[in-house]
Amino acid sequence: MLDGFVRGLVYVAIALGLTIVFGMLRLVNFAHGAFYAIGAYVGLVVAERLGIVAGLIAAPLFVALFAVAFDRLLLRRFYDKEPTSQILVTFGVAIVVQESLRLIFGGTTRTFPIPQALMAPVNLGFTEYPAYRLAFAAGIAAIVVLVWLFIQRTNYGLIVRAGIRDRTMVQLLGGNVAMASTIVFALGAGLAGLVGAAASPIYSVDPDTGFSFLVPSFVVVVIGGLGSFWGAVLGGLIVGELQSLTTLVLPAASDVVIYVAMALVLLFRPSGLLGESEVIRG
Amino acid sequence: MRDLRFYGLTVLGLVLFPFAIHPIGGYGGLATQILIVGIASIGFNLLLGYAGLLSYGQAMFYGVGGYMALLTVSRFFPDHPNFWLAIVLAVAFVTLMALVIGTLVVRLYGIYFALLTLAFAQMFFFIVFKWRDLTQGDDGLQGIASPPLGLGPWSIDLTTPFPALDLGPFGNLSDLHYWYVFVAIVTLAVLAFMRALVRSQFGETLAAIRENEERSRLIGFDPKLYKLAAFVIAGALTGLAGALRGLYETSIAPDSLTVETSGNFVIFTVIGGVKTLFGPLLGTGLVMYLQNVVSAKTDAWRLIEGIVFVAVIVFLPGGVLGTFGRKRARTDLARAVRAKPETTP
Repeated sequence: MLDGFVRGLVYVAIALGLTIVFGMLRLVNFAHGAFYAIGAYVGLVVAERLGIVAGLIAAPLFVALFAVAFDRLLLRRFYDKEPTSQILVTFGVAIVVQESLRLIFGGTTRTFPIPQALMAPVNLGFTEYPAYRLAFAAGIAAIVVLVWLFIQRTNYGLIVRAGIRDRTMVQLLGGNVAMASTIVFALGAGLAGLVGAAASPIYSVDPDTGFSFLVPSFVVVVIGGLGSFWGAVLGGLIVGELQSLTTLVLPAASDVVIYVAMALVLLFRPSGLLGESEVIRG
Repeated sequence: MRDLRFYGLTVLGLVLFPFAIHPIGGYGGLATQILIVGIASIGFNLLLGYAGLLSYGQAMFYGVGGYMALLTVSRFFPDHPNFWLAIVLAVAFVTLMALVIGTLVVRLYGIYFALLTLAFAQMFFFIVFKWRDLTQGDDGLQGIASPPLGLGPWSIDLTTPFPALDLGPFGNLSDLHYWYVFVAIVTLAVLAFMRALVRSQFGETLAAIRENEERSRLIGFDPKLYKLAAFVIAGALTGLAGALRGLYETSIAPDSLTVETSGNFVIFTVIGGVKTLFGPLLGTGLVMYLQNVVSAKTDAWRLIEGIVFVAVIVFLPGGVLGTFGRKRARTDLARAVRAKPETTP
């Protein structure tokens, strides 16, 4: 039950980036998993030399910078193109990142080094659970709240929310949508990078990590509703629990079940559980 | 006359192809593999290029086609293994599968279409992966020899090599097996079929729907029906390619159903050129050549593939053939529905 919750939180944090980027840029980012993987490796390298805190700071910063460069150099050319070619370019970048990681770090599985003390179980009254996982869960919850505050309470958040509603109008009113788009993209990417680094002591890392987290994250975002903030949160928790509960009841079906759920949502409620019903066209 | 040129040049190309790639490190087996995967890419292009539908789940048809063909030989009819039966059962099953899934997916558009096909492909991947009794799970089906090809009174073992004949820099004729001839004939048939299809009323209507679905519907076409037909045809061709692959390799594993495999068809088709007849085949050839020949020299081949893919999307949005090939005028119907309406001041 708790394992499913923690896994669900990882999905929440990855899907959150995916969903705000979709909301703002109307972009389904196949490179989002790659951001997670870069974060995991950067965190790993920095943590080995400078300690775990430095790793957790360096990972999101590096990934956010990478995302800004990606946005400015490549993605910008595709803002006005059809969604299909946007998917293709992010998919291509995801492959380039994955293979670069493989060349640099080798294909073997790596684990993030954390002090033994953090792995010690903590007594929660009803059960015992490793301290690191508890801290991780708390951290993710805090981040979700911070991102929500950023979007709801700051001026930039205002442009972001308005941009999600009507890009052109915000532009006409003098809002810098391009800048806000870049910031949202960097924020989503940084989030993925941070989770990548923070989650790697729990789920080890290899170059294919990006894609293996990307696909379930799509499930999360679709179930919650593409572009919906709380949808990503709800979807992440549902998928995490769904997976771990079916593992207990019917292990053979644990992977299939989330895709069945995804297909059902797409067919009967394409805007997702919490998504605003928008016109699903073109 | 144009027909004659199409058939003449295509046959010539297919005959020369396995020898032409020899001096640059290719070999007969690679030529056969390229054509097999190329058939799936040609089918996929009907979706991505002509219908404008990005399916991210073609691997389910490819993999299931392969499993069905090999299961027909080893499991369903072990006493009377039959080549044609394996192919027919595999294609029939995949066609049915595409019909059912297609009915559901054509209701969605753009990214939602892509994500739903992805969801279905993942379901089939995990079903195949977990159903150990039937599929051997992770290990896949191994060492299932292809039955001989029955042709009337003859029975041909496709693994028979041609007689030895030294061709200098172009290798040796014995490098090639009968398999290549069979697959080349199938490829020719698929190309001819696709050529006729996109030039037909059906192909024109499909292009019109791609350009403007609303307007096509108002003219009186049923877009969903046309898209479903395209989905089924693409699925059937991909299943055919999967069946050929299974029989040729004598094995099939779950990796034939992964997201990566689905993505490969996308990469092949986009690099070669969507909306072109030969583009998908060319793209498949280029990338699989890279995979096989460059991978022997450097570990970075997939990185190179990724960079080439991104470069093509950015600089050659029409793919290699779409950019450098002969421009064919857009069909009248497609042009008509695409045209901006006359605005009266």
